[in-house]
Amino acid sequence: MTSRQFLIRDLLVLFGLTGWAVALPGFASEFAVSMALTCLMYIALSSSWAMFCGTTRYLSLATSAFFGIGAYTSAIGLESLPWEQVIVLGALVAAAVAVVMGAAVLHLRGTYFAVLTFGMTELIRHAISYFEKSVTGTVGRVLMVVPERETIYLTVLLLAVIAVALSIVIRRTRFGLALQGIGADEQRAQTLGVNTRIVKTAGFALTAAIAGAVGAAMSVRWTYIDPHTVFNPFIGFQTVLIALIGGAMTLWGPLIAAIVFSVLAETLRLQVPQLYMMSLGLLLILSVLYLPGGLASLRTDTFKGWKNDIQAWWTDIKDDLSGETKRRKEREKKRREQRHVY
Amino acid sequence: MSTDAKQPLLDAQEVTVRFGGLVAVDAVSATFMPGELVGIIGPNGAGKTTFFNAISGVTKPTSGRLTVRGQQLAGKGPHRFARNGLARTFQTPRTFGDMTVRDNIAFGLKFAGRRRRKYILWGEESGVPWVLRTADSILGLIGLSAQADLPAAAITPSQQRLLEIGMALATRPRMLLLDEVAAGLTENEVEEMARLIRRLRDELDLTVVWIEHAVTTLLRHVERVIVLHQGKKIADGPPREVVRNPEVIEAYLGDEMNDENDESRAEVTA
Repeated sequence: MTSRQFLIRDLLVLFGLTGWAVALPGFASEFAVSMALTCLMYIALSSSWAMFCGTTRYLSLATSAFFGIGAYTSAIGLESLPWEQVIVLGALVAAAVAVVMGAAVLHLRGTYFAVLTFGMTELIRHAISYFEKSVTGTVGRVLMVVPERETIYLTVLLLAVIAVALSIVIRRTRFGLALQGIGADEQRAQTLGVNTRIVKTAGFALTAAIAGAVGAAMSVRWTYIDPHTVFNPFIGFQTVLIALIGGAMTLWGPLIAAIVFSVLAETLRLQVPQLYMMSLGLLLILSVLYLPGGLASLRTDTFKGWKNDIQAWWTDIKDDLSGETKRRKEREKKRREQRHVY
Repeated sequence: MSTDAKQPLLDAQEVTVRFGGLVAVDAVSATFMPGELVGIIGPNGAGKTTFFNAISGVTKPTSGRLTVRGQQLAGKGPHRFARNGLARTFQTPRTFGDMTVRDNIAFGLKFAGRRRRKYILWGEESGVPWVLRTADSILGLIGLSAQADLPAAAITPSQQRLLEIGMALATRPRMLLLDEVAAGLTENEVEEMARLIRRLRDELDLTVVWIEHAVTTLLRHVERVIVLHQGKKIADGPPREVVRNPEVIEAYLGDEMNDENDESRAEVTA
């Protein structure tokens, strides 16, 4: 397939999935819809995360900071502003924070970058907690004006579609190529003319904008928010886990993994809550060890490869147990000795 | 190129690079004129690569001035150097392994292309040699057309070196900085590489600065050579003169007197 055919295929798949998701509230139970909402939230968060952090390999743990900033913007602005403007405002505030944060940390790489983004997230969370306690004199905020459930669902769906569509489109642009170059070898990309600082800041801000918008839309679901719910670092970790398990370098990986996760989360958490975190950890270990490309890299060949590996392993064990390995080694030794006679 | 022949392409003045207490490059000044083919030699640890990193913007010099066609670039990011027509290769090839060979070339075309602004204004890339206009013609120039669709990680090390040069060419440079492009190649491959470099200089009107550890090869092909020793410039001139320079002989004798250097001196002075 040519690049254009890939683009058309990806957009068609996205269009199909969107149609299915729009129709969902019409026939599914309330439980299924609320599950789908969580799922869409993580699709938006991890797709946008993978778009920047996956391609450039700048592992950011700041998603929960942007999410929380969006949620707070929404909590403050919802009484005076219409819904759409609140969402856009959440995105803009988060992006602005990302630009400032980026200026401070984007020259660092690897572990230092990850740890610093996490540190800044905690800093923001505690700063807002402190501000709430000492200045406003409250712990959290109650959201009085809350839009319809339907509106929330459609907004988050729209954000998820935007996140995936951006991932589809950006990887075909000059900007996307620059991100790829930064991921492959940042210094080489610079010597080939990429202004990496601007590209990185823009990519980071874009990711943050989507996380902020999602936070703004999701905050109303709780009706009462405080820094510890919306700046919950678990949101950031889960976003990263989903992207890694799905395949951070792939387009559909985060989406596939987000679906798998939400189903796991909702079914396991209700029946055996302890098993949920355990299976999450297990899934991450397995995917890092056996599927470094993520769930999206699964092909029939992968299964065939596993089957062959297991078969080979099983034959070895059988040979060992039946003494066949020993006999084979003796035969080889004898053959070598015969050759040395001459 | 229509640039003023008197204006140097790159004027490095008193460039110093310090790593903590170590002075890797000590107040080196050098001027590079359009169309020159200059070699840089020096014993191990002489500061060749560090000087290279400084004049391509990869390492910020501690002090000194770097004037590229009248513009002051010292302390600016490497992309500014690339956009002003300075392209470089790396000692160990740093190609984008996951991308195809063609995409590796296309990368430079997309970003540096010094005629970008003109391209937008006039609708055509005026002044860019036709051979540098598309990835495929660059591949033809460096002789990698057959490997165009292979991932860059899959080609041989000597092809990787050619690809490095191709990636640098894709930025439509005025000046090509080559860091040990002939290291680890067979004798035939080295000759071919040298021919390619001369051809690039002649046909594309490039200034070429070429670092090589193997002195013999280099002295045979360049017109001017700069000798670095312990971070300082100790000689600058035509190869014939430089190899007779007592200070240069001293530097190489004091460091390591191997057959290769001996041979090269005999050959060039003969």
